[in-house]
Amino acid sequence: MSLFSVFSISGSGMLAESQRLAAVASNLANANSVGDAQGQPYRAREVVFQAVAPEDGDGDGAASIGMAGVRVAGVVTSSEPARSAYDPGSKFANADGYVQMPNVNPVDEMVNMISAQQNYQADLEAFNVAKTLLQKTLAI
Amino acid sequence: MGPLDAGLDFYSAVLGLRGARQGLLSADIANASTPGFKAVDLDFREALTATLTQGTLTPEAPSDLLLLVDDSDGAAIARNGAGDGDPLVAAHRSVKYQVGGSVTLDGNSVDLNYEKLAAAENALDYEAAANFTSQMVNMMMTAIKGSAGSGRSS
Repeated sequence: MSLFSVFSISGSGMLAESQRLAAVASNLANANSVGDAQGQPYRAREVVFQAVAPEDGDGDGAASIGMAGVRVAGVVTSSEPARSAYDPGSKFANADGYVQMPNVNPVDEMVNMISAQQNYQADLEAFNVAKTLLQKTLAI
Repeated sequence: MGPLDAGLDFYSAVLGLRGARQGLLSADIANASTPGFKAVDLDFREALTATLTQGTLTPEAPSDLLLLVDDSDGAAIARNGAGDGDPLVAAHRSVKYQVGGSVTLDGNSVDLNYEKLAAAENALDYEAAANFTSQMVNMMMTAIKGSAGSGRSS
């Protein structure tokens, strides 16, 4: 019954989108973190999604017709150049008085957040539709 | 299939394929942000014809099934599908890439609006088929019991 595979597919989508949202939250929270344990400024993180075949546990061939879930294949740090701000009083300032700031772009993060929210809602919708359809099937 | 459940055979195929299409659309939605993912859809008319005329046919060319970005994953899919007696397997050739839409710079071709619309439409069709099945069962029960009231014995 391929409708059951919708649960794992949409579930994987929701999990992936929530991890993306966590990355956005981390980036926004650290938008001004100039020094970590090594004294380096925070680097923006981005998740990378990858399509995966769901486990065909019940052998219904759902995977055979190309249904794919999604997973977070990895987290990469953004390669955007770091901002530098003039703050001679900071202990992280260099000889010229500039501090290396994180390369977090708040506009990018906001766009990412909205996109993640929309995709999460779409996944949830698909999940609920599958649930409703299965209930209708039970009522036959 | 006897005369009593001959009609149910058809609805079994319809419900199976509608469920399969729902799964495909959900997979598209789940991968709305996956780089390189290409949206797929089920050609329902073609799939139903194939299922009704060919029954449970095993796939000839597993390469048709390689819908994923990664080759190793694609091989896993083809292996999963081989020799399966499910009616879905007969319809696998009706799974097609969606064409004509826009592709983003990261190679993703999922149009979230289309997917939501198609999923809602497909869910409605599924419900209709489920209702028809239910009515058919009621009809048979009426024929068996010989009374107009469904399931009420006097």
